[in-house]
Amino acid sequence: MILPLVPFLLLSFAAILHAKSSTGDSVLVVLEPSLDQNFSVFFDGLRARGYDLTFRAPKALTPAIIKDDVPSFSHVILFAPETKSFAQDISPQSLVQLLSLRTNLLIALSQKQTPLSSLAAEFSLVLPPPGTPVISHFPERDTPASIFPVDVSASNPILSSTKAPVWYSGISHSLGNNPLLVPILRAPVESFATDSSDDSGAPSIADAAEKGGEGLWAGGNMGLVTGFQATNGARITWVGGVSVFSDEFANKEVIKGKPSGNAAFSQDVAAWTFQETLVLRIDETTHHKVNETTPLSQYTTNDVVTYTAHISGWDSGKATWLPYSGLKDIQLEFTMLDPHVRTALPPVKGSPGTYSTTFRVPDRHGVFKFVIDYKRKGLTALQSSTTVPVVPPRHDGYPRFLSAAWPYYVGAISTSIGFILFSTIWLGGDVREMKKGKTSKTE
Amino acid sequence: MAKSTSSSPAQTTVVQTLWKAYNDQTPDRLKFVDAFLFFLMLSGVVQFAYCVLVTNFPFNAFLAGFSSTVGQFVLTASLRSQVNPENKDEFKEVSPERAFADYVLGSIVLHFFVFNFLG
Repeated sequence: MILPLVPFLLLSFAAILHAKSSTGDSVLVVLEPSLDQNFSVFFDGLRARGYDLTFRAPKALTPAIIKDDVPSFSHVILFAPETKSFAQDISPQSLVQLLSLRTNLLIALSQKQTPLSSLAAEFSLVLPPPGTPVISHFPERDTPASIFPVDVSASNPILSSTKAPVWYSGISHSLGNNPLLVPILRAPVESFATDSSDDSGAPSIADAAEKGGEGLWAGGNMGLVTGFQATNGARITWVGGVSVFSDEFANKEVIKGKPSGNAAFSQDVAAWTFQETLVLRIDETTHHKVNETTPLSQYTTNDVVTYTAHISGWDSGKATWLPYSGLKDIQLEFTMLDPHVRTALPPVKGSPGTYSTTFRVPDRHGVFKFVIDYKRKGLTALQSSTTVPVVPPRHDGYPRFLSAAWPYYVGAISTSIGFILFSTIWLGGDVREMKKGKTSKTE
Repeated sequence: MAKSTSSSPAQTTVVQTLWKAYNDQTPDRLKFVDAFLFFLMLSGVVQFAYCVLVTNFPFNAFLAGFSSTVGQFVLTASLRSQVNPENKDEFKEVSPERAFADYVLGSIVLHFFVFNFLG
């Protein structure tokens, strides 16, 4: 559609069939002209997967990233780690505005102090002082200490296709306790941040490590690549060094004969950031009394209710939403201020994408909500809330006669029968006659 | 018990005399009323004991059952005093038939409320 406008893309024309991202395929790449590294492996990979790249220098005036409060692109890549002054429309404020307009951002940082490194602090990333790259002397290799391979955790769902270690060079950052942060790549345990690579300050670093001293930037708790998923679903990824994406690292071997994981890693990071992977949504929720099918506008206390949610996941291969049954730990809450019921919402076997549970409504009337609030690192936050009133039984909804009250029923009935018998006998004669006889006698 | 029976034969004779006098002097009709009163009292005691010892739930059933016995007891007792020949002077204008009609009317109203309240 808009492909002819972009001469860059002519080469990858044939590969473009669909947008693979759930939010769109247009990407703005803000690329620093002084960046001597070449990113053709990364950008060609993006094009091959259906993205439509537009390039721009940090100080160029067009194309604008936001026009009339509408973002011009679905995703923005900021590979301008050393630029201190951007064009007017690229500012920390406009980047945050982009995020709130559901545009995804991929931002590279460097050891220099720039507007972007100040913005990182707003996302709970604590950056080291300027000029302190992260280095590691392990494993033994022929590259400088500032260029080292990082093992990728196999259990990280974001990096599912990255198999080999990833070359890294750049800065590390420590993570604040913001729950929206998604660690993607952690620093190796042997790495640390330092302002010199000749190890002249090694004793003081060791001292600081033993004292657990302030200002020590070391170990596996530091992050190298960290994502952040805003509450509206937009994603932003901070990368400590732009060279992770470079052709040089993609082609550099970690072990002889085995390519590094950088090419796959950079595509994985872009796929997560651009909302291709781990994107979920709740299509529909329904509720009804067990053994019925139509939802009621209100429920009675102690009703047994079935709640069903249909959840889809974005399939980037088919570029469509498909039913997704892979969530095992999703929970349903039935709340009135507090959750009165919190129960597992397991997937239904044989019915993809359906999650269902049956529970008893508490013996408490009021305005309740069925709440799904599923937030997991890396996954789209799933939130759903359905309000239903819960009423007490109607006046004829209670059991009328209780077994515990039979003595009282017998007492009342026997009194009535006694009264009838008494009246009958009183009127019937015998006693009356006898009494009359007696009274006449006594008189 | 043992003490009272062994130490005070006078008391025993008092009770015996009372019982004898009641048997001899009370008209049969009043004895019949007394039997009904005794039955009502017994029924009330049983229901109250059940309420205290076992359960007062449902409370409306207890109130209905217990008040039916109490109400019937009161009505029957007033019938007894009105038809007692010894009280003739006090109830000059109330004939025994009139007293019985009042009693039946009052009882029917009582039972109407009791059965409405019971369930």
